[in-house]
Amino acid sequence: MKPITVTLIVNEQPRTITTEPNRTLLYALRDDLGLYGAKDACGGEGECGACTVILDGEPVNSCLVLAGQADGCHVETIEGLAAGGQLHPLQRAFVETGAVQCGFCTPGAILAAKALLDRLPDPTDDQIREALSGNLCRCTGYTKMIAAVRRAAEDMSHVR
Amino acid sequence: MQEIDFYRADSLDDLYRLLAETGGRVIAGGTDALVQMQRDAFPAAVVIDASRIADLRYIREDGDRIEIGALTTYADLLASSLVRRAAPSLIAAAETVGAPQTRARGTLGGNIANASPAGDTLPPLLALDASVTLSSARGVRILPLGEVLRGPRQTCLEPGEIIASIAFRRLPQPSGSAFIKLSNRRGMSIAVVSVAAALALDAAGRIAEGRVALGAVAPTAVRSPAAESVLAGEVPGAETFRRAARAALDDIAPIGDVRATAAYRREAAARLVVRALNGAWEHAGGRAGA
Amino acid sequence: MSADTFTVGKTEIRKDAWDKVTGAAAYVDDVALPGMAVGMVVRSPHHHARIMQIDARAARDVPGVLAVVTAADVPGSKTFGPLAQDRPALAVDEVRHLGEPVAIVVAESKTAARRGVKVVAVEYEPLPAVFDPTAALEPGAPQVHPGGNVVTRYDVAGGDVEAGFAEADVVLEHVFEVPRIAPGYMEPEASTAEWNADGTLTVWVSSQKPFEDRHQIASVLGLPQDAVRVRSAVIGGAFGGKEDSGLAILAALAAWAVKGTVRLVNNRHESFLAHPKRHPARLFYKLGAKRDGTLVALQATVHMDTGAYSSYGPAVGGLLTEMVPGAYRIPHVRVETLVVYTNSPFSGAMRGFGSPQAHFATESLIDMLAGELGMDPLELRRKNVLRPGDRFFTGAPLDQTASSLPVILEHVAAARARLAAIPAPAGRVAGVGFALAVQSMGLGYRVPDDSTNRLEWAPDGTIRVYVGAPDLGQGLATAAEQIAAEALGIPYGDVRALAVDTALSPNGGVTCASCMTYVVGNSVMMAARQLIETLLAYAADKLSVPRAALAYRRGTVVLPSGETIPVAEFASRAADEDVPLRAEATFSFPYPEATTPKHLPVGMPHGMFVFGGQVARVEVDRDLGTVEVTDLVAIHDVGQAINRAGVEGQIEGGVATGIGYALYESVRLKDNGQWVDGFTEYLLPTAEDVPARIESVIVEVPEASGPHGVKGVGEITLVPTAPAITNAVCDATGVRVTAIPITSEAIARAADPA
Repeated sequence: MKPITVTLIVNEQPRTITTEPNRTLLYALRDDLGLYGAKDACGGEGECGACTVILDGEPVNSCLVLAGQADGCHVETIEGLAAGGQLHPLQRAFVETGAVQCGFCTPGAILAAKALLDRLPDPTDDQIREALSGNLCRCTGYTKMIAAVRRAAEDMSHVR
Repeated sequence: MQEIDFYRADSLDDLYRLLAETGGRVIAGGTDALVQMQRDAFPAAVVIDASRIADLRYIREDGDRIEIGALTTYADLLASSLVRRAAPSLIAAAETVGAPQTRARGTLGGNIANASPAGDTLPPLLALDASVTLSSARGVRILPLGEVLRGPRQTCLEPGEIIASIAFRRLPQPSGSAFIKLSNRRGMSIAVVSVAAALALDAAGRIAEGRVALGAVAPTAVRSPAAESVLAGEVPGAETFRRAARAALDDIAPIGDVRATAAYRREAAARLVVRALNGAWEHAGGRAGA
Repeated sequence: MSADTFTVGKTEIRKDAWDKVTGAAAYVDDVALPGMAVGMVVRSPHHHARIMQIDARAARDVPGVLAVVTAADVPGSKTFGPLAQDRPALAVDEVRHLGEPVAIVVAESKTAARRGVKVVAVEYEPLPAVFDPTAALEPGAPQVHPGGNVVTRYDVAGGDVEAGFAEADVVLEHVFEVPRIAPGYMEPEASTAEWNADGTLTVWVSSQKPFEDRHQIASVLGLPQDAVRVRSAVIGGAFGGKEDSGLAILAALAAWAVKGTVRLVNNRHESFLAHPKRHPARLFYKLGAKRDGTLVALQATVHMDTGAYSSYGPAVGGLLTEMVPGAYRIPHVRVETLVVYTNSPFSGAMRGFGSPQAHFATESLIDMLAGELGMDPLELRRKNVLRPGDRFFTGAPLDQTASSLPVILEHVAAARARLAAIPAPAGRVAGVGFALAVQSMGLGYRVPDDSTNRLEWAPDGTIRVYVGAPDLGQGLATAAEQIAAEALGIPYGDVRALAVDTALSPNGGVTCASCMTYVVGNSVMMAARQLIETLLAYAADKLSVPRAALAYRRGTVVLPSGETIPVAEFASRAADEDVPLRAEATFSFPYPEATTPKHLPVGMPHGMFVFGGQVARVEVDRDLGTVEVTDLVAIHDVGQAINRAGVEGQIEGGVATGIGYALYESVRLKDNGQWVDGFTEYLLPTAEDVPARIESVIVEVPEASGPHGVKGVGEITLVPTAPAITNAVCDATGVRVTAIPITSEAIARAADPA
């Protein structure tokens, strides 16, 4: 395998790595950049959403993107969401609603929800469920996650 | 994770060159290819990423012809009011692909290249009588989608050849299309059986042209000529649709697997054909049959 | 919230939530230690085979490979196990299930480790395999272990079942089947072990039982217990499946082999194949009743598939046996449970621990009986539910806790009426069903069940809680913090629980058995009383006043004058003197000598119980057989909610897991000889597969011995779900499902036999 050099613009910061060509974006973030917020729960099959990041504005399973495919792209990870130390309304809502239990699915779910709210600021419950349908959670039964997204949407509408 | 070498093509010329030089295999969104690599089952040692070739990502209308670049994602389709108007069945299928994360990356061309019998967009594209433009450094050839799909995970693509675009013609009005997918779970679903239908009606309200295609019930997604010949010239409605559904069973050969038995797939296919035809008829302005 | 508490009963925000929403929470795989190597496991491709030879030379020659470890290298005990030591750390001479660990490749990188794994040459001679517990009991069945396939047999009776059936007007006999399911925690197992220069090991785990892990690791490594330090990382869910030391032992072996630091992380497939599942079972039931609905006799024979190794199978079998009569008084009961070895991936502890299996059969059969008698299933249950003063068929007495059952039934009735009024949309039929459940708390009589926890005043006057049992994500730490804060009268914000570290924490027991808030809470309250004594004695000494002259109030020492001194003044001074103010206390799960029956096998009976009921509304597409759960109301007696949102979270998560049990999940053998072992085929419910809002109804009938009246809630929340759903499906379609998960085909076929 010939190493490849890739520049990722991670949370607005350009980061250049030289890595193995079969490295996924997920493991580029984790092993090359030390950003551990995106998780591997399904073994790289795109079936759990725990590795969700926002790639050029779209929610993606970072386990199904080769690092080389993301060269030059903007990658938004959970670590970048709390701008200036201020939690994003979604983060706050997840905390305050009790939507966090073991937390392993939480970063991915929050980013999937952020991609939804970026596109659709006032979603219905069904739209929230659809937006979270790629993010498996075994702890919460989703009830409080859905409530948290609803609450964040309301909080954000007050800001607007 | 399978060991590979990786190249990225930024233009079509780049892509042809890399294909020729490396003998590699093209990936686009990667939503199927990466899963194969994860299982050491990707059929090549060199991966050429085409996902960034802007020239292959478009949705165009030319008279009654709609052409979609192979790198158009499911999310692109869903955002397109043109596709929404012209091919609601394709929209309905795109909506059921995986989860938002899959729809953001997965491409229409990839769905064809992957040639899964259960590929969600394949039945609606077949029922739209879609054609596929294959291109290579040697030139282009245009084939009906049904000829591109050769078997499970098999296409007619030759070495050096890629899927460039998919095109279909709008049916003359009044017409309609529909897609229905049966799966074992609502979220992130994989088709147990899927059916797409398209109907065009004549001035007398009879079926001028009816097309039916099915997924996950044969080695590839398939059209059903038997059902279509039942439909041609008939008055749309429950009786006609039921006959078409029975006929469709002659054109499928489902297998049993972890998701469903062959027998259940047959029964469900018949029911879904009726429902899809009803949906298409309703969309064409007709009244749903029983 | 109770009138006289200030934090107990309130929804306090769990303190780990902040790290979890920012990505800062460190799970095992999120900490890269210097010089850390990677371990990967060579696994059996066979269900059952003799190992003829292992040739690791080619693997050792792969650049970057540091070591290959096989059973021959294991320095201590070759086998381990929580109850019976029947499971090899690495396969010895034979593999008994697909995915069994055969060797570990330790390498400098993942790529090198993968290359190494591929070239470890293992020569196998395949042996016949058996996958069904009933088949495994047949004469001539392949033998999984030399001692035969029956791991444990229980035969427990109360009353005289033959006489009972003689009294019965109606007798129903049915066979039920429940699947093998995966715990489905999102974080696959992971462990990092570090070999220290002094010949000791530090092992980071994602585990429900760090102290037990220490014991097992020490045994396999041939080390004294105190040479092994086990530390809990943040845990990404467990649900019983992380009551297993397997991967931690492999990490320890790998670190020992290279005298360095090695991390092992299972991928999802490995997790499916080589970590505990919930036992599949076949349950043969016979129920007898009077014409008026009075239950008189129940006989059950249960074949439970524990797979290739026993794990907690014998204990699960014991609890399943006890749970067979459910929440009902039945004078004559006999249950025979056989825990059987097969060549399936092994099963062990999982949320419910035998109760979900028993309840699926019992709650289905009660509804079937109601149908047979032409009675309303709710009336039938009202007539037969346990009451305070009743005894279980084991002889275990039932106290006031059973007074919650009529309350639960009234909530069930109300929810059922409300949901039944919702019309079905076009093209679908709707139905409403419900089920009751009982779940025990604690490990059972004569099983050591102690929890020791420690409180310590930090120099700044805040409290550190050394909870000796890990928080799996369910919120144990938060509950302990709230109880400690309440006991000491200080703000919740001033109390912080620490992660388990066997070098620093007392042994709080295994996090399991629906009893952690109960046992840890009791222990913390005991420790708090002692801590106040310790503080006042120290303060009296420093102030040169008699101890009796001082009082404690809300983080201060009160002088006779009424003047107060903040605890921080004493705590900081004590810390400076290196005699920190701390107290620890052990709470032992109570089994009153006078009333606990003594004639039963070890682990029986359980002595404390919780009750619940759930009502499900389903919509069914009759033609296709597809089922959607549109509404679910879950009613649970929790004694006293410590953290309301936390309790709701337990209920909502349990219900979702119960929906998966009813509709989707099964680790089964496919036609190609492979197991369903990934999330593509093993379907967990998604946000679109559960109702948008699972409704919780929290009933609070206090447990006298519980901290603030607490009872357990961890497991029962998924126990009634599956039968409530199948009962609802029957209400909608008339189709009685006796095997879960429900398949669309079974519904479509039965609804339209043509």
